[in-house]
Amino acid sequence: MRWILFIGALIGSSICGREKFFGDQVFRINVRNGDEISKLSQLVNSNNLKVNFWKSPSTFNRPVDVLVPSVSLQAVKSFLRSQGLEYAVTIEDLQALLDNEDDEMQQNEGQERSSNNFNYGAYHSLEAIYHEMDNIAADFPDLARRVKIGRSFENRPMYVLKIASDYQRDPAITSILEKMDIFLLPVANPDGYVYTQTQNRLWRKTRSRNPGSSCIGADPNRNWNASFAGKGASDNPCSEVYHGPHANSEVEVKSVVDFIQKHGNFKCFIDLHSYSQLLMYPYGYSVKKAPDAEELDKVARRAAKALASVSGTEYQVGPTCTTVYPASGSSIDWAYDNGIKFAFTFELRDAGTYGFLLPANQIIPTAEETWMGLKTIMEHVRDNLY
Amino acid sequence: MQPGRQRLPAPWSGPGGPRPTAPLLALLLLLAPVVAPAGSGGPDDPGQPQDAGVLRRLLQQAARAALHFFNFRAGSPSVLRVLAEVQEGRAWINPKEGCKVDVVFSTERYNPESLLQEGEGRLGKCSARVFFKNQKPRPAINVTCTRLIEKKKRQQEDYLLYKQMKQLKNPLETVSIPDNHGHIDPSLRPIWDLAFLGSSYVMWEITTQVSHYYLAQLTSVRQWKTNDDTIDFDYTVLLHELSTQEIIPCRIHVVWYPGKPLKVKYHCQELQTPEEASRTEEGSAVVPTELSNF
Repeated sequence: MRWILFIGALIGSSICGREKFFGDQVFRINVRNGDEISKLSQLVNSNNLKVNFWKSPSTFNRPVDVLVPSVSLQAVKSFLRSQGLEYAVTIEDLQALLDNEDDEMQQNEGQERSSNNFNYGAYHSLEAIYHEMDNIAADFPDLARRVKIGRSFENRPMYVLKIASDYQRDPAITSILEKMDIFLLPVANPDGYVYTQTQNRLWRKTRSRNPGSSCIGADPNRNWNASFAGKGASDNPCSEVYHGPHANSEVEVKSVVDFIQKHGNFKCFIDLHSYSQLLMYPYGYSVKKAPDAEELDKVARRAAKALASVSGTEYQVGPTCTTVYPASGSSIDWAYDNGIKFAFTFELRDAGTYGFLLPANQIIPTAEETWMGLKTIMEHVRDNLY
Repeated sequence: MQPGRQRLPAPWSGPGGPRPTAPLLALLLLLAPVVAPAGSGGPDDPGQPQDAGVLRRLLQQAARAALHFFNFRAGSPSVLRVLAEVQEGRAWINPKEGCKVDVVFSTERYNPESLLQEGEGRLGKCSARVFFKNQKPRPAINVTCTRLIEKKKRQQEDYLLYKQMKQLKNPLETVSIPDNHGHIDPSLRPIWDLAFLGSSYVMWEITTQVSHYYLAQLTSVRQWKTNDDTIDFDYTVLLHELSTQEIIPCRIHVVWYPGKPLKVKYHCQELQTPEEASRTEEGSAVVPTELSNF
């Protein structure tokens, strides 16, 4: 299943400063081929007109939106006509629109944090997520730190939020943090995440190159060293469940493995995916029963019950192999076989109606119920340290 | 809870009676309740969790296949059903032939707008016999369901949808429905519903006992003028297959009129060979073939 965020993300406009846009317009331009995209890039790159991509061009057959400053309107229109590029004006006065949106946003704000307006009820770019992690660490220096644990294939950082020390407001969390630190990795596949926002929304794998193949990427959840290349993974680089050339070949996976092994003493490992509403424990690579299966099953059922108590969302519980399908090289199997007893996979909302395209208005409800499940697990770990 | 045990004919009986020479593995797994929702507090899993898991998956598979077929046959884009819960069932597995499943399940009305179906409750109950022929698609299905909505109301809603689609201007061509954030504009809902109905036919045809599909997204829509009153649409849909995680683009051509059987033609892209590129390359040529019920 797709790696997903723990925190919601917004694909916002790239305009975040406090400039004004009176009379500026947004043109929607139909580009049908690479040639037309080059012509358009010409326009954008020419500095004097100050035209910007409103939304980066992705593939062909999708219109491209450009922001045209009011002073350049005539020039840009002439250019487009001369190049035979079809366009439509979709926003006639950007400032008016922004003024409207500002009002709306201020009314609709979910959790508004004091120093910025990060909306937890919306999807965000990778940059925005990393920025917010940094803000959290800055605002709560005694509680949270942003730590780089590695990098992606395309050299993006992989950040975890380390949550430690004492948090006095919620006794349940305080008691957990007294015994353990929490490391949160919101984006385990940064390259893939960015790719879903710029090129192909349903991209699953990493973005690593496969020598000898035109197909890109490996399934990061088949790349761990637990029955690597066994059942439920593919050796075909073009497959969505391609396991990669060898275990930990994907730098994103290796970064996490190295971090956990170097740090040591991890007691619990939880992997969040979408979709299907399942809560699973090892094994995926075999039908054999994990030695701790009974305890894990009990904890998982309690967690699913706690989750359901929030909005009625029902999860199925069981070992990976028989609950969903055989899957070798999976993260929780590796964690479990390497001494981390409490290893679980969540497949979050929904059950197939929207699937991967979960509407933003379900982000916060999903987070609230999932939190209850996570808390149940963490409390059990706290009370059963080994 | 003991489900009613009827004397059902042995599944493998041909006209000449049961075949004595076939290595008949009549694996009769009877479990009730089969799928207890998490937190139901009911009695826990039967002795062999693996078997229970396998059976539960098979029953869910059968229920989904039955619903695809049911939705297609009902031909009503405004009243589509999705699986709520498998309630009971049993399966016969013959390694040479395939797998026959009897399953009883509850359904909900398909409605992507509402967050959870709680208010509507569990409407509709179905029972089905689904025959998965060894790894071959197009399971043979017998399914009956209790009525979900008054016939007259259904006809009215279908007709309303029909009128909305007739009135659509045709700028659509390439769209994403839902958009990348899961949003479906209300004006585009009828298009989505009809695509879902057409996709049900496709998903029934390509489902096996191990593969099952969901409709992930529409990536293109085109409406054709017709000489009669029917609605004629071309879609590109992306189907998500769970066990391989593949995203499969299919071109679907749908012709519909309220109350009449749905006509569907489709072509799904083959799974790639090692040398074919994956979905990173757009614009792959799709040659329509005449796989249809025209």
